[in-house]
Amino acid sequence: MSDPVIDLQNVSLCYRLAKQRNVSIKEYLIHFVKGALVYEELWALEDIDLRINSGEVLGIIGPNGAGKSTLAKVIAGVMKPSRGKRKVQGTISPILELGTGFDFELTGLENIYLNALMLGRRRREIERELANIVTFSGLGDFIDAPMRNYSSGMIARLGFSVATAWVPSVLILDEVLAVGDVRFVARCQERIDSFREKGTTILLISHAVQMLLDYSTRCLWLEHGHVRGDGDPKSVLDEYAVAMAPRLESVPEAAED
Amino acid sequence: MKELYRYRDLIWTLVQRDLKVRYRRSAIGFLWTMLQPLLMLLVLHIVFSQLFRFKIRNYAVYALAGLLFWNFFQQTIVTSMNSLKANATILKKLPVPLAVFPIATVISGLVNLLFAFVPMFAILLSTGHQLTWALAYLPVAVIIAVIFTLGAGLILSPLAVFFSDVIELVGVVMMLLFYMTPVIYPKEIVEGTNFYWAVRFNPIRSILEIFRDPIYYGKVPPFDHQLLAAGIAVTVLAIGIVSFRQSTDRIPFYI
Repeated sequence: MSDPVIDLQNVSLCYRLAKQRNVSIKEYLIHFVKGALVYEELWALEDIDLRINSGEVLGIIGPNGAGKSTLAKVIAGVMKPSRGKRKVQGTISPILELGTGFDFELTGLENIYLNALMLGRRRREIERELANIVTFSGLGDFIDAPMRNYSSGMIARLGFSVATAWVPSVLILDEVLAVGDVRFVARCQERIDSFREKGTTILLISHAVQMLLDYSTRCLWLEHGHVRGDGDPKSVLDEYAVAMAPRLESVPEAAED
Repeated sequence: MKELYRYRDLIWTLVQRDLKVRYRRSAIGFLWTMLQPLLMLLVLHIVFSQLFRFKIRNYAVYALAGLLFWNFFQQTIVTSMNSLKANATILKKLPVPLAVFPIATVISGLVNLLFAFVPMFAILLSTGHQLTWALAYLPVAVIIAVIFTLGAGLILSPLAVFFSDVIELVGVVMMLLFYMTPVIYPKEIVEGTNFYWAVRFNPIRSILEIFRDPIYYGKVPPFDHQLLAAGIAVTVLAIGIVSFRQSTDRIPFYI
């Protein structure tokens, strides 16, 4: 229990913005020769220090562009921090966006394999869990239909079913419980509960304050790539609400004009 | 490397997906792979028997041996160059080792190449071309071609992410290379012209010839030619591996 499952030390991440992004070789060479390869830098995360232990459910809140999704990507290992150290122990199951890793020309069943393989599973493991995944998704006969015929709710259900078919050390959910009907959300919540009991560390990114209050054991408030609050969910979310309140009030005023 | 081995099932599934998606909606499916070089050959036959007349015995086999390699090389370069861009949504959201994408495209290219050998043998037999034991050398030629193409794919796929005009540029370069390589013309016709050196020192010609030697000339390529082709292929792959590794971390930022 001593070692944290997720350990970020002074993590910063910088996006180099539009100016020189996806330029042509010609432009690149011209700029290079002129010595004018200037980048507009955007630090999405700055000096984040974060240790999360096994079994913690960390709710992450913050306004748009605060760096929540970037933080999720760094922890998931999709993006490497520009500075600082990232250490994550065990398996990670990230759902950063529903429908990622699906090929819509293939059937649901074929996509179960594709998606689970991308999460680092072996074929044999998938075969063993296949029946459970199909049952949990509740897709029935649709599982043999090409995914281009699926509704967004169905895509969400299949994505969640695959990503949570195995108990990971870290589960990352970035705004993904918003879709899906009430019954499915209830089943997702059941599964999240059982994971927590088994010691999975869960990162829950959401704007839904009530959900964060219900689930989190700890809450992180991000703003402009910095941590503004970290601790007991109730107090962090209260502070967040107070800080956001003036901005919320200003909206109807503007609308009245 | 260890990471890639762990994801071997994924690579194989990506290959199957490539092939499935490619053929699922077409009426005659896999037959296309075999038919395509035949149809191309028919076009060439008409063009070259009517327009340009090369003094070359059994031109069909000569051209087919070249096209077999060239089609594999050209199609695979294009798909593997695009492979990272095509899977942008995945590699921005899932921690998959990025090399699986170019590798999978090269393997599906290889599968298509193996299918294309079927019509080649049909042509060999139907034109009464002499079959020799030198054909047993073909697997080595295939391996060298795969190593070379994989290396090129590893070099080009990150470049296509970083620079928006790489794909167009490579399209033009491929056309130039096609004419710099004696795929459909006998290499003797460039002798004595200014173009000779471009053909002579074209590394792709070296690889093409180890294909053509066993199929058309019925001989195992001379040892120094084999060594040169293998050397070129391994060098390109080495450059590919190094450059791909160096750009891996930056790819998600640019895609």
